[in-house]
This record gives sequence, C-alpha cells and structure tokens, in this order.
Amino acid sequence: MSWSTLLTTNFYDSDSARKPLASEVANLWAHRGLIRLIVARDLTVRYKRSTLGVWWTLLNPLLTSGVMWMVFGNFFRFDMDTDTPYIVYLLSGILLITYFAQAVMASGSAIVNSAGILTKVYVPPEVFSVAAAIAAAVNFMISLAILLVIQLITGVGIPWTVILVPIPVLAMLGLTAGLGLLIASAAVHFFDVLDLTGVGIQLIGYLTPTFYPIAFVPERFQFLIKANPLYSYLTVFRELVYGNAGAEWWMWVYMLGSAAIILVVGVYLFSRSWRRLVIML
Amino acid sequence: MSEPAIQVSNVRLEYRLSRSNVGSIKEYAIKAVKRQMKYESLWALDGVSFEVAKGEVFGIIGPNGAGKSTLMKIMARVLPPTEGRVIVRGSVAPMIELGAGFNGDLTGYENIVMYGTLLGRTPEHMRGRTDAIAEWADLTEFIDVPLRSYSSGMLARLAFSVATDIEPDVLVVDEVLSVGDAAFQIRSEERMKDLIDKGASVVIVSHDLVTVESLAGRAMWLDHGKCVMMGDPAEVVAAYRRTVEEGAS
Repeated sequence: MSWSTLLTTNFYDSDSARKPLASEVANLWAHRGLIRLIVARDLTVRYKRSTLGVWWTLLNPLLTSGVMWMVFGNFFRFDMDTDTPYIVYLLSGILLITYFAQAVMASGSAIVNSAGILTKVYVPPEVFSVAAAIAAAVNFMISLAILLVIQLITGVGIPWTVILVPIPVLAMLGLTAGLGLLIASAAVHFFDVLDLTGVGIQLIGYLTPTFYPIAFVPERFQFLIKANPLYSYLTVFRELVYGNAGAEWWMWVYMLGSAAIILVVGVYLFSRSWRRLVIML
Repeated sequence: MSEPAIQVSNVRLEYRLSRSNVGSIKEYAIKAVKRQMKYESLWALDGVSFEVAKGEVFGIIGPNGAGKSTLMKIMARVLPPTEGRVIVRGSVAPMIELGAGFNGDLTGYENIVMYGTLLGRTPEHMRGRTDAIAEWADLTEFIDVPLRSYSSGMLARLAFSVATDIEPDVLVVDEVLSVGDAAFQIRSEERMKDLIDKGASVVIVSHDLVTVESLAGRAMWLDHGKCVMMGDPAEVVAAYRRTVEEGAS
C-alpha cells in the first residue's frame, strides 16, 4: 500500500495558479470525506449534550410557529387567498426562512470559527463554509418531517410533488453557500460583518411573506416582495410541499438563476481573497 | 540525482499589523475617508532560500520571533508565501501544534478519525487505524470516552499517535519531541527516529541545539526572517552559541 495515494495532497507548489471555480471544485471534491465528517459532527454535537437531542430541530420552529399562529391566526387574522390552513402556510414559511438564516450565519462564521484548525493544518478554508451550508440543508430536510405531519393532521395531505422539494433545497444550498463564502472572507477582515449579516437576514425575513399573504401588501409595494429572491424560493417550496401556492414560471427562473449567480460570484470573489485569509486569522 | 524534496526560493511573508487599528467596517470607512489608511507591515520572512534533499535531515535554529514557526507553516502549506515560491514533493506530515480540531464533546474514536482526516487522510482509512492508534497512545480503554475528560498528557499522546501513524515523505517537526511523561518521551523519540530512518526528509526546528547538532545533516540559523548562516550543523550551532553568549554578557 502506498501512503502517498492515501493523502489528499502529495505535491505542493505555491506558484501553481489557483483557477477560480475549478480549484474550489477540485478542493471540495478532494476533501469530500472531511466535509461528510464535519456535517455529521455538526448534526450530532449540537444535540449530544441535550436530552431532547435531535428533537431540538423540530421544537424550535414548532414553538415559533405556535406563538405566531396564536398572534396572527387568532388575534389579527389575515384574509388568506387560498383555503390552505394558516398553520401550514406559516410553518412552511418559518421553516424555510429559518433554514436560510441558519445556513448563512453558520457558513459565514465557519472560517473565523475554524481559525484554530486553519492556522495549524492545511485545509482549504472554503471546505468549512460549504460544509456548514450543507449541514444546514440536512437539518432543514429533517425538520420538514414536522410540516408533513401537520399537513396530514390538518387534512391538506402530501402531494406527489413533495419528491421535487430537493430542487428548492439545492437552490438554497447554492445561494447560502455563495453568500456564506462572501461573508466568511469578509468576516476575517472585519469583525462586525457577522453582526451586519444578522441584521440583513432579519430585514429580508420581514420582506418575505412567511406569516402574511402577499395579497396583504399594498399593490404599489408588492414589487419589493417580488424582487426579494427568497419570495421565489418560498413560493416554489410551498407549491411543491403542499400545492396551490401560486408559483409562477418566473419564480423558478429567479430562484435557480439567483442561486447560480450568487454561488459563482461568491466562489469567484472568495478565490481572489483566499491568499491573505489564513494569515489574517 | 533526484529532485529535492523541498525547495524554498526567496520566500517572503508579510504580516500586516493593521488589524489592531482597523477591525470593523465602520472604522475602515472612517479611515478611508480621512485617508489614514496606513499599513504597518512586518516581514516575518524576508527572502529565505534553501533546499532539502530526499532523506536529508535539515535543522533550523534561531531566537524567538526569528520566523522559524512561520517557515514551518509555509512548508506545511498552512500559510501561502507573499512572495517567492515553495515546492514540496511527496506527502507531508506536519508535526506542528498537534491536536488541531480536537473536540471535547466527541469521543477519542471520533476525534482520531476527525484529526486524521484534517491531516489529509481519508475517514475510511482512519476508521481502520483507530485501534492501533489508541493502543500506541495507551488509551485503548478511553477510546469511547469524550475528549473533555482526558488529561492534557492524554491529549498530547493521542495527537502524537495520530500525527505519526503514517509513513510520510516529508516530516516537518516543530519542538514536539517533548510530549508526555518520561516513558512516553522515550517511545515518541524512538518513533520519530524510526520515521527518519525510513527515509523521510525532515525539517526540524528546535531550541535544543544538541538535538539539532546530533540529528541534522545540515542546519540553518534564522534571525529576523533572514538566513544568517547555513551549512554544517556543528559550525552553525557554534556560531549561534557565540552570538547568544556575547549578547548575554
């Protein structure tokens, strides 16, 4: 057995040009074993020391939606434009927006948080950012179980289109990994980037119809909601998971297009800044 | 004549000390507007060149802050050089700051797999090696215990055992020979010598001048990021000793 074939790297030339995109893809592929470990660790460590375990994933959105269901489903009632039960509408929105928020924050802080590793052994920093985004996607897929159960209880049922849900999830993975890489390399240079990110996530969350229907928004402001890419992700996701959510073709285009563009831009800008990254940690 | 295992040519590495002044976007914007953006740069390495042949043991000595650890990290690929070029041929085992990424919530077993994967091996390979690694570190009975209940000596033993569970082409060693208690130190030194005897090229940084003199075939004296002297270890060590003693008296 040759030891050289066992290692991910056995020739290093600091001058070998790093090609944007190609190098990142090669790096991620070479470190796929590590990515798998990080994702698994993320999912287990988070729950290992709590008695509730993996139920935390389900409990958090359930409690949030429970409270919001009380406030907006009973105290202030929105006139829903479909006959979908409000709790299904609300929970689907909260689950997806929570996924987005967690993925961007985790991916954006991954490099700074891994400083202890990155300054000691060679691992391409993007591995940590991308692994964090993947872990958030897996977490989201687990938390979907609760939505499906509520759909069954409320009589909405589960349409066959649910098998297509991985499409918006993968698009979200591209979007959040791209944003995460951008934020992660900026966060190494400026410590307040992550605070700003938190504020930005909150604002974009309010601009997404999670708990209110878009019909509730005055006509002249609706363009603001429609310009927000998350509206497309959410509507497509709702269409697939319970149906009858009014997804239009341009939302599919906007969703897939924004994911591809943000991912490419994120990776490209990252590949231009990586050289000074570890030394700044 | 085969190609050298390590080629370091004219490597410079710049640390920018701006971080203490500018840490947030707000401050950056203010300073950019006021045109006060000034970088104070520190060249941790300033034009270092050397080669290490296959199978050679190369020692590096010098005072604290000379740039020794930075140079190690450059060879281990952790830091890319600002200028100049580094080429390393073959698999590298970096024995610097062992135990990166150890997680107290994970068991010894899980940490062995994780640490080995961080060092560039595959998880599948590591899973097959955990028993042997734990046995060598004398930690077989603790392998399923979370790392947070390990003593610092146990952690050091585990890290060393994982890091050396390999037959690398190039070994980059930064003062790690003094790990654990006396008995373990003897065993770890034996293991290091074993790796060296198997034909690995070795770069070793040490404050222990005797070690460098006895192990190395060639040595370099580094100060302020520059090579002061390079050649026969006995001569380099002797010259270095003289300046240290002159400075002390």
